[in-house]
Amino acid sequence: MRKKILIIDDEHDVMTYLVAVLDSNNYVSYSADSVKDGFLILEEVKPDLICLDIMMPKESGISMYIRLKNDPTYKDIPVIIISGVKQENEFDFRSYVPDKTIPAPDCFMEKPIDVEEYIRTIGKLISSATPSKKRGNK
Amino acid sequence: MRKARLDKSRRLVDTIYRTLFQQVPFNVAVIDRDHNVVNANDNFTKRFGDWRGKKCYNVYKKLNQPCDECPSAKVFEDGNVVVADDVGVDQNGKETHYVGHVAPIRMEEGGPVEYVLEMTRTVTGTKSWQQEYQILFDRVPCYITVIDREFRILRANEAFRQTFGDKQNQHCYEVYKRRKTKCPNCPAAKTFKDGLVHHSQQVGTKKGGEKAHYVLSTSPLARGDKEVIHVIEISTDITETKKLEKEVVDAERLAAVGQTVAGLAHSIKNMLMGLEGGMYITKKALVRDDKEMLSQGWDMLERNFDKTTSLVKDFLSFSKGRLPELVMVNPNSLVNEIIGLYQDIAKSIGVILVADLDPKIKDVPLDPKGIHTCLTNLVSNAIDACQMSDKKDCHVCIKTKDTKNTLTFTVVDEGCGIDYDIKSRIFTTFFTTKGGKGTGLGLLTTRKIVQEHGGKITVVSKKDEDTKFTMAFPKKRLQTLFKKDSAE
Repeated sequence: MRKKILIIDDEHDVMTYLVAVLDSNNYVSYSADSVKDGFLILEEVKPDLICLDIMMPKESGISMYIRLKNDPTYKDIPVIIISGVKQENEFDFRSYVPDKTIPAPDCFMEKPIDVEEYIRTIGKLISSATPSKKRGNK
Repeated sequence: MRKARLDKSRRLVDTIYRTLFQQVPFNVAVIDRDHNVVNANDNFTKRFGDWRGKKCYNVYKKLNQPCDECPSAKVFEDGNVVVADDVGVDQNGKETHYVGHVAPIRMEEGGPVEYVLEMTRTVTGTKSWQQEYQILFDRVPCYITVIDREFRILRANEAFRQTFGDKQNQHCYEVYKRRKTKCPNCPAAKTFKDGLVHHSQQVGTKKGGEKAHYVLSTSPLARGDKEVIHVIEISTDITETKKLEKEVVDAERLAAVGQTVAGLAHSIKNMLMGLEGGMYITKKALVRDDKEMLSQGWDMLERNFDKTTSLVKDFLSFSKGRLPELVMVNPNSLVNEIIGLYQDIAKSIGVILVADLDPKIKDVPLDPKGIHTCLTNLVSNAIDACQMSDKKDCHVCIKTKDTKNTLTFTVVDEGCGIDYDIKSRIFTTFFTTKGGKGTGLGLLTTRKIVQEHGGKITVVSKKDEDTKFTMAFPKKRLQTLFKKDSAE
């Protein structure tokens, strides 16, 4: 069964690019350009992985990440943060999320992405998400 | 009978002499040629101790040999009165300052000087005040000079002499500024004229050639309505403060450069991702021979190319350090241009764009291109804010108002509002809430143009409430800039 991936990015071209890459690699992709729409899709689709942008109008990717990790239904879904902000020196996750009960994202990727590394990381994260950890198994 | 009257008269003179000798408010002593104290009054005894059988130098100064410069010796020599100040030691061993009046005593008129009469007055208290004043004058951590109406330095304190050199009698402008003529806007000249205290900030040259920044206060050395003959100049050195200020400005500038580069890199990365996406999709479309996909990829390439162009354009316009080119223009006509430009776009997305113009407004000097850019940025932001809100029939209104002193443009929208956190960052480089749609330079450029006009931009907003951006231009400042601009 093809794995489902949800992309949340307010930039439509980035979204189109990621969808095209995932389609070519045999994944089923869903996309939303805001956190609000992202949650609407989540309720229906229950994806195997989420790709999340940080800087978005209205509600940021960080805010969505915190909500996901605080929700037992979604907390075990692996999340890849994809952003134009460089992780070293520029983005310190803990300065935004000091609450240590919320784990750091599974992966952080800098735009523009390396397609091969992106696909490799998705494969690795989905296969390492053990059945017991999967959503719904509380 | 006659002898008795003579005796009585002599006794009276003696009594008067003794009373005078004792009661006169001086320390009085009679000294012979061999420096022996032959008589002294009670005041003298109280001050210098027992004098009987002692030499004057021993009593006055507790020395064992005559003083180097003995005023009595001089009087014995030439018979003239000598007035001199000196320092001795009182009977308790304390230093005592006194002013002495030494007069010759001749036993016969025209005869030799046989004794000298020394009348001294203790001035230790006054001396100590003088010394304290001198120390204060010299050691106070600022430069003090007293100048006359010719601007010549009559007195200068130690701090001044150490910094600018010992330049008594030279003109203050020569010493402070190494000028040959009086400084323009000289604060001391103002004080000479109006007798008031004046303050100013100055830059001078120290004796070693380094620049000295100082705050100068000039005050008259006269009381009441008297003509000011002398002025006291007191300067506080702020060279170190200026240096620190510069360091802070440099550090802020470096931080701003860093922030700008990081912001620029972030925007470029998003565009690169869009361009890469366009290339990826175009390549796939060519392999699959899928025309629809090819068109999608090509559109992405075009869009991101345009975004890059607009970022570069915005960035250049922001970094351009130019002065506004002011011409007389009607502010209402500038607003009407913007309304014409945006009305259709606004209408197509359900936003109502209106103008509320002050009918009494007159032509003012403005840079039409600059104000056009500002209004474009504010109106496009306002329309975006309406789009982000869930409200129906959102209004955006551009207002003009001409008051006695200020010209204002206001852009009000009923959109999503700005929360506190965002409001604190909207005027910083590359801050955008519009994701890929914005470059994050619009409001920064707007603020820069407003400031170049001598104006101020403010924002009043709360999340989910109206947002009001006001650009206020002081009319006096616009006129000054306009005159300067025309003169050039």
